[in-house]
Amino acid sequence: MEGRCAVETWAEFGFSATCTPRLKFGLGTDVFLCPGNDEVYVFSSQDRKLAAVIECPAPVTDLVESRDKRFLYVACGSGVYCVSLQSLPSRAQSSPADASFSPAELKMSTEFLAVAEEGVLSLLLVGSVLLTLSQRDASWVLTSYRSSNYEMLSSFSLPLVSGDVHNEAGGKTVMRRRPLLTCVQSSVATPPSSPSTSSTARGGHLCLEPVLFKLLFGIDAALAKSPVVLCGLPDGRLCFLPLRPPGSRLRVLHSLEQPVVFVGASGVMETGPGHAQCLVAVGEQGRVVLIKSDKGGSEGGGNRTVFIEGCVPGPVMCGCVDQKRLYYSTGSDLLVLDLSAVSSEGEGQQMMGTSSTTDAALQSPTSLNVCRVVALAEPTCNTAGEVQLLGLSVRGQLQRMTLPVEREDARLPTVPSTKGGRSVRDLLSAIGDVCERASLLKTAIKSKNQILRHLNQVLNISFLLIASTNTGEPLPIQEKPIRCHAMAGWSRLLQTDSLNLTCVLDNSSPYVLEGGWTLSIAVFPLSRPPGAGGQSSSANFSFPFHNLHPGETLEVSLPLAAAGEASFPMTVSCSLIFSLAGLLGEEAANLPGLQDSCVSLPLNPLTVDWLHALQVTGPTATHRKAASRPSDTTDPIQAFLRSRRIGRGGRGEGGGETEREQHAASVRVSSELLRDTLVLKGSDLDAQGRSKVAPQNVGLSLLEWLLSEAPGGVAAGRQGHKMALSGSVIHAQGPNGHAVKLTAKEVDVGEEESLAAVEVQVESSSIAAVCGLHHAVLRRIQALLQTAPERAASTKSIRSLGLRRALQRAERLLQQIRQSQISGAFGVGVSTGQISQSLLSVYQELRENPLLII
Amino acid sequence: MHQPLCLLDSWSQENNEAVNKWKQLEGGGDALTRDQSQNHSRLIWCSSEFHKLLRKIQGIPPIADHTQLELTVVYNACVCSIAQSQFSEAELLLTRATERVLQMTEDDSAASDPPVFWRTALKSVGNTALKPRVLYLLCLQWAIWLATCQLKTIQGFQDELLSVFETLSAGVWEEERSASRRKSSDIPLLVMDQRRLIELLQICTLIAQGAERLSEGQSSEALSGLHTASALPAPRTLIAYTHLLSGSCLAHMSRPQMALQCYRMALETDSRCVCALYQSMLIYRQLGNTQAEIQALRLLHSTLMLPSATEPALAGAHLLPPSLLLRSQSLSSLLSVPAALSVLHSLALKCVLHERVSEGVECYLDLLAALHSEDQHGVHAEGPPLPKLPELYLQAGAALLMARRPADCMALCDEVITTSLELLPGKVVLEEPVEKCEAETGTLCAEGEDRVGMLLWVGAAYLLQGHCHIHLRDWKQAVTHYTRCFNLLVKVHFKKRGCQPQIPSADMVGMQGTDLCILQRLKGLSLAGRGISFTQIDQNREALRDLQLSMQAFPECTGAGLWCGEVLWRLGRRREAVACWEKTWSLTPQSSVQSLSVYLQEPQSGPLLDSTELRRRIQELRPTLSA
Repeated sequence: MEGRCAVETWAEFGFSATCTPRLKFGLGTDVFLCPGNDEVYVFSSQDRKLAAVIECPAPVTDLVESRDKRFLYVACGSGVYCVSLQSLPSRAQSSPADASFSPAELKMSTEFLAVAEEGVLSLLLVGSVLLTLSQRDASWVLTSYRSSNYEMLSSFSLPLVSGDVHNEAGGKTVMRRRPLLTCVQSSVATPPSSPSTSSTARGGHLCLEPVLFKLLFGIDAALAKSPVVLCGLPDGRLCFLPLRPPGSRLRVLHSLEQPVVFVGASGVMETGPGHAQCLVAVGEQGRVVLIKSDKGGSEGGGNRTVFIEGCVPGPVMCGCVDQKRLYYSTGSDLLVLDLSAVSSEGEGQQMMGTSSTTDAALQSPTSLNVCRVVALAEPTCNTAGEVQLLGLSVRGQLQRMTLPVEREDARLPTVPSTKGGRSVRDLLSAIGDVCERASLLKTAIKSKNQILRHLNQVLNISFLLIASTNTGEPLPIQEKPIRCHAMAGWSRLLQTDSLNLTCVLDNSSPYVLEGGWTLSIAVFPLSRPPGAGGQSSSANFSFPFHNLHPGETLEVSLPLAAAGEASFPMTVSCSLIFSLAGLLGEEAANLPGLQDSCVSLPLNPLTVDWLHALQVTGPTATHRKAASRPSDTTDPIQAFLRSRRIGRGGRGEGGGETEREQHAASVRVSSELLRDTLVLKGSDLDAQGRSKVAPQNVGLSLLEWLLSEAPGGVAAGRQGHKMALSGSVIHAQGPNGHAVKLTAKEVDVGEEESLAAVEVQVESSSIAAVCGLHHAVLRRIQALLQTAPERAASTKSIRSLGLRRALQRAERLLQQIRQSQISGAFGVGVSTGQISQSLLSVYQELRENPLLII
Repeated sequence: MHQPLCLLDSWSQENNEAVNKWKQLEGGGDALTRDQSQNHSRLIWCSSEFHKLLRKIQGIPPIADHTQLELTVVYNACVCSIAQSQFSEAELLLTRATERVLQMTEDDSAASDPPVFWRTALKSVGNTALKPRVLYLLCLQWAIWLATCQLKTIQGFQDELLSVFETLSAGVWEEERSASRRKSSDIPLLVMDQRRLIELLQICTLIAQGAERLSEGQSSEALSGLHTASALPAPRTLIAYTHLLSGSCLAHMSRPQMALQCYRMALETDSRCVCALYQSMLIYRQLGNTQAEIQALRLLHSTLMLPSATEPALAGAHLLPPSLLLRSQSLSSLLSVPAALSVLHSLALKCVLHERVSEGVECYLDLLAALHSEDQHGVHAEGPPLPKLPELYLQAGAALLMARRPADCMALCDEVITTSLELLPGKVVLEEPVEKCEAETGTLCAEGEDRVGMLLWVGAAYLLQGHCHIHLRDWKQAVTHYTRCFNLLVKVHFKKRGCQPQIPSADMVGMQGTDLCILQRLKGLSLAGRGISFTQIDQNREALRDLQLSMQAFPECTGAGLWCGEVLWRLGRRREAVACWEKTWSLTPQSSVQSLSVYLQEPQSGPLLDSTELRRRIQELRPTLSA
């Protein structure tokens, strides 16, 4: 039995077996196949062709052919269907040589329904009695029907065992076992004319030696010459029911304590032809029970039943048996067990009075080196005496395995030299197989390790980001390990100016940002643009990237707005997104639920304000101010339209169609403060020397700082005229196209004791520009103050600032606002235009006479 | 205002469609088995339809306009649930619906106790238009109580139920009928006719109560109730049940003749009432009227063999068959009938034991044929199970021998021997019978424990074969078979508690019918048979030894006694012979012989001694004795 067997693939069906598939020899040359889905395949072993496909309304659980080969009973979902095999069209009639031979197809419909019983799991046909086994509530129900008119004859039930063996299997994805039904007959009861050489009569009926039959099933069954129905249940019990003397009950013969996979009969001693001396049952986890009769024990008590139990290694997927051997598949290999050895060993041990478990013989099955067999049909012998097995692989291949002829000397340890070379070849190919399998496993392990490492990095980064956002006081941006900063700059494309933001992701953490991360940037205005009517326009950008090692940066550009379309300031919120799909690879990405599963970690937010969006036109361009705007676009009509729109849309301009009216706002900062902070900042500025300005020119340096500094991580990129500041006046163009003027001059504040201060004045014809710039400047200075070193402000100087006057003015303005609100509320006298006019004037007054920031 | 009306209409239409579908089936369907499953699936369909509709209706708070329809749908859904034996579900439906009605009438005193609850419900409904509908629901509650055998509750609620019956029968039906004539399409239909339900409930309640009282021993009380029941309008089956129960009551009151009358009435009412036949057979047996008993058995068997006998008469297409409502234990034990084969066996045995051997043999052969036929109804009926097959074979064999068909008898015995011989133990120890009796009460003893029984069967088979050979006057063969029998029997040792196993002797036999008794009887008979055979081939010494041993083992064996005397006479020991004869004649035949199997009786065939001849010999001898 050494050596490999020849495997011949007969057909390939494109399914993968889901539930326990069934493979059955028909009584003729047909092979019936039900892989557990809705279909039954009829395969002609003569023509080696698929003869027919029968499509059923529900998953097929079992099938059985009638003795006269005329009918096929198929059990599925709602009942048992009966098809006439002759009715399958164009079977034998069509010539086999026909190239365009296609299998007959038949769709099972309710007209074929024979027995309407729900959930039939197994079928058996004994003579003219059709037996079904199903599970109902808390019991197994075996029902018999007369096959001529499907009249129910009787029904037997056996309560379920509460502790289902299946539960012990845990989370393993075991194939759900179905119960088995077999018919056993005493060999005296069968007509001697049946020429079956095998102990198993074709058609699934086992023929058992009379003594064993009587011992197992009782005198009554033997006297009535009754066939006995054996059922192997998934709970491990082996039950039997003699069909004949009425009133016999379903009784338990033995329990394997694990799902019964196979029940068969084998003639171990081969004393007489056609008699099986031994009943074999195999459990899912490898328990094998041999049941046979034993002549006279020590008590001299006649024949007794002997149960020889043992375990074979490995799970058993399916099995079959012939005269001497048990063939079984573990899923990874097909093995042969010599039953006669097991049986004799078992006997020997029983003589000695030890337990009847036989280990040695059971632990050494011979391998046939065929893997992935999930169903086996009964073995047959061909004319040359070779044993042939028909198997179904897990991938849906119908295979015929021809086993080498067993020689007398095959069991000797020395292998004949002629077979040596062959066995080496076999071994080598077996090694090759194993190698292949091993390398597959290695790759799998490797990729899993990779994923785990990846996941570790991801978790580290996540914790880092979460920690930096969760701590009470946020770190300054510069100290965050992973941060974003940006640069805003105007570019001109197709004669349209647009503001671009170049965002830089800086990874200064010790971890690598690996594949699967995405930088997501959302841009949305801080306040609604006046014309947008309530809808905040936000834009999202995402940039997937691969590896970002520590110290590396990632630079991405995105358009912020075209000229005149955006409303500033804008908030740019950055986040890092990690999706699980990226981790698991492509296969997982197709899963529907996985696509949404991702982690989003916020980074520092950025703000792009008016100052960033300013286009500096030069300090001396005052005279070009009027002309500069038309020069933006060559199309005068466009310019005209734009001016119209702005004029009408900007309500803040007080209805003045004449846009020449200038608005202004100013901020005063004490020079001392500026000097301190700017110098302080300048010390760590670049080496251009520009920052080391003469301390007396504070105004200029303030302007320069305002335009170049990057508070909050956003810098304004002005390459062309970066250092074109010569005076303390800057002419620039805002993002809405209006010209603005920024002036910084040193003023003395205070009546009694003047305090040196710098006043930054914003002037423009567009009130929006003034407001925006004012806000931006204030924001910058606010940020500046936060970094300023603490300094004891002299109370005297504060007092001298004329706070009282300022307060009085503020109160007056408040009064004014209230008045206009009231009149607006009542709507008397004044038009809305007037109200807004008055509000505007208040605003302007507030802006023009600022308080001094010390 | 338009919207709810439409809703109401569509719901009502939905209800009527389902009802009509069911009615169609009920009208057209015949009770074939194939249709039965179809029937069942249709029922499930209807049930789910009603439940679905009900969920829709109960999805909104109770509105007075809807209540009429809602209660109708509740009634329909409930009937379907009861028909599927889902009683608790049906009960839940009823209470929920009634609670909704109570909510509407703003009487929120919901009591958990069902009778109190229903009384409140009835009171709060008062005499409104809703009352009949609520009464319908009460009827269903009644059905549930009946089906779940809560006869006590029904008893306590009897007055209300009676008034329900009267109220409903008084006016409502007429009202309904006129209403339905008015506009049949709008009236929500009922899946089961109201009047039929109430009639059914009434008679079923009376029957169930009668059975209960009978089992409690209050036969006369039961009788009066059953008497009223028999006059009610009801299906024939149920009327037959009332007669049957009356008969049983009378039988309990030891009035067998009147009981027989009642049983006859039951049969006349419903020819399929086999239990009446069975009960009358039992009475004949009790009265010792063997001929009538045999007649009844024969009738019973042929009735049971009719294809329709096992099917309850009304099971077919009706929604609530009486069997659903009559589920009490006491009633089902009264209605149970043994299986046909069991009846056939009793018949065969009775015939053989009462000089109708040829009939008996026919019955036995029928029985064996039926047991071997592939096609049999395995309907499990209560009652005595058939004896084991070897026992049956032996009985049949004995009957065949009585009918002078020794060849057939031998064939049967051969069958028993070949099947069992291989399994016979080498040595058997028989335990003391006390434990044995207890073990035998469990009918299902394992095959291993039945080894003694098997040995006794084989022994008996050999014995019968010996008898057959005697019948054929083949003495040598007879001796061989009797010897085989005897050799087998000596393997059995008897073990008393605390003693060593030993060969049993006659004085140990305590009880008739035990294994030990059978063993001794077999020993005696086989030795007697061998002795008699020896006498025929003139081996008088061996004959004498065997016959004497036989009388030791089984003293009551008359054949052995007489033949022993004969042998003694032949040997010239005349005084002993006379003593032996006289002793044998003085033995009173055991009354319990009949309880033993047929094959254990002394054979009637074989060489006989003329007792007048023997007495003449004694007379001849007496002068010499006295002298």
